[in-house]
Amino acid sequence: MSPLLDVRGIAKRFGGLQAVGDLSFQLEAGEILALLGPNGAGKTTAFNMIAGYTRPDSGEILFQGRNIARARPWTICRAGIARTFQLSKPFADLTVIENLMVGGFARSRDASAIRDKAEAIADFLGMGRQADTEVQHLTAFDRRKLELGRALSTEPVLLLMDEVVAGATPAEGQEMVALVRRIRDRGVTILIVEHVMKVIMALSERVIVMESGRLIADGAPRDVVNQPEVLKAYFGEQYAAARA
Amino acid sequence: MTTARPDRLRSPTVPRPDEIRAPSLPAAPGRRPRDAGTGFGTLGLIALMTLAAMALPLVVTDSYLLHSCIVVLFFAYMATAWNFVCGYVGQLSIGHAMFAGIGGYATVLLFTGLGLSPWLGMPVGGLLAALLSVVVGYPTFRLRGPYFALTTIAFAEMIRIWVENTDTVLGIPLNGAAGLTVPLRGESLAALQFNGKAPYYWVIVGLLAGALTATWWLEHSKLGFYLKAIRGDRDAAESLGISPARYQLVALAISAFMTGIGGGFYAQFFRYVNAERLIGVDLSIDMALMSIIGGQGTVFGPLLGAVLLAPLAEITRGHLGGSLLGLHIVVYGIILMLAVLYLPKGLIAPLRSLLARLGLLGRGGRR
Repeated sequence: MSPLLDVRGIAKRFGGLQAVGDLSFQLEAGEILALLGPNGAGKTTAFNMIAGYTRPDSGEILFQGRNIARARPWTICRAGIARTFQLSKPFADLTVIENLMVGGFARSRDASAIRDKAEAIADFLGMGRQADTEVQHLTAFDRRKLELGRALSTEPVLLLMDEVVAGATPAEGQEMVALVRRIRDRGVTILIVEHVMKVIMALSERVIVMESGRLIADGAPRDVVNQPEVLKAYFGEQYAAARA
Repeated sequence: MTTARPDRLRSPTVPRPDEIRAPSLPAAPGRRPRDAGTGFGTLGLIALMTLAAMALPLVVTDSYLLHSCIVVLFFAYMATAWNFVCGYVGQLSIGHAMFAGIGGYATVLLFTGLGLSPWLGMPVGGLLAALLSVVVGYPTFRLRGPYFALTTIAFAEMIRIWVENTDTVLGIPLNGAAGLTVPLRGESLAALQFNGKAPYYWVIVGLLAGALTATWWLEHSKLGFYLKAIRGDRDAAESLGISPARYQLVALAISAFMTGIGGGFYAQFFRYVNAERLIGVDLSIDMALMSIIGGQGTVFGPLLGAVLLAPLAEITRGHLGGSLLGLHIVVYGIILMLAVLYLPKGLIAPLRSLLARLGLLGRGGRR
């Protein structure tokens, strides 16, 4: 069976900076794959190329066998890929339910059915009681959960998540990890960009590591974090040499 | 870093293909009550207000008073049409009068040139206005920032100046700055000409009811949700399957259509159109200000704004205009500043919470 997502040699240059150079990896259905790398490694650029927010200079992105490289974000959403943003971007003057309804129109025209689904998602997030609250009155963490729920409202096959627990307390982080797991258990494949090691260890079976726009490691989280290239990328040459 | 134990590592469970598409989320335990009938409450309110307004000429027989009511409702209609796109998508148009101008000129010219009844001329004018709106909106809605506002004002002023300086184009008489008059046919329903004011009043009440109903529909429709999402955050909207340019264009075309019909009504009511009044920036600003001060992005906000501001303009113009020219603009400016400072959501916001406190609106009574 071909992989759900097959990234083939995508590259992106911003002026003099080769943000991503010839990046290839594959994602199987049902996986939670974490994308790691130090700041400036090109994670976000790679993420945005898959989501359609940045156009790759070259390469192909095959989703369910179809090339979506250079497609626009709304087309990619309708193809079955949803995303969250690193800084959550809720529709501040709409209520929680209204926020969760917007994405439903990508799959249906029946506003009443869409509202039912939005209510189910609100309950799934544990936000049922805030259903009619305007989002500007929510806490930062609730907005983050809402961001996740809003992505789910488009009924994605693949969910791209940019930093799920940034700024969250440890307890909130745990809640988020549990939520992401439950989403995967419902049959959604997940690609996650994350810095917090604990989250990655708890969630993903496989991680890929980027450095200077290239892939330097691919494997189980435990193995990858001990690879010299990865240590070098995060801690510098000397640290890696000292451990060897 | 290397000490983290993957103790919670689990083997991936690959879902069956039929599970992949729609993650069936658990059903909500204990349904929440729906917004206590907000939707039909709003529609009911529109119907009630329309019926009450229709009865007014039976009580008010004074011609000047009825004339003033028609002017107020005309502005309410135009502001509601403006709000249909600008209020919901958060874009500012300062050139909406160009759509009114096209509608007004088309209605008059189709009547004088082809003998077409204004009842048909107005919707044809509306369609032409919608066509123009696509020309304006197509290149600008792709851009972010203030380009739409700048483009609308530039287009409107170009058209106004061109019309003011053109006597005939392709054999069609535009009559330059002097404008066009509608030839008198006496009392005639087909020609939309009446001796009394009441029939005009009923027509504008009907138009306003239609515009309010369209806005109510928008609130609950896919288009409305999409516009509010674009207003909230364009990137997030795109990630939810929304092409901002496409849906903004659809809304603008509908808004321009309504505005064009309004221009046609103006032409019939005053039996006269000219570029300065109907295409000029004054009308555009009136439409925008009444919406913003009343409460843009709501069904009744623009109506409220027009009901408060249009008479104010009449009074300051009528009673003080001779001695203090342009005073109404100063008054407008002061009200706008106060509204932006203290009631950024418009005058409708405190009214709404007052009604809610009195129990006249349901729990979800946000409209």
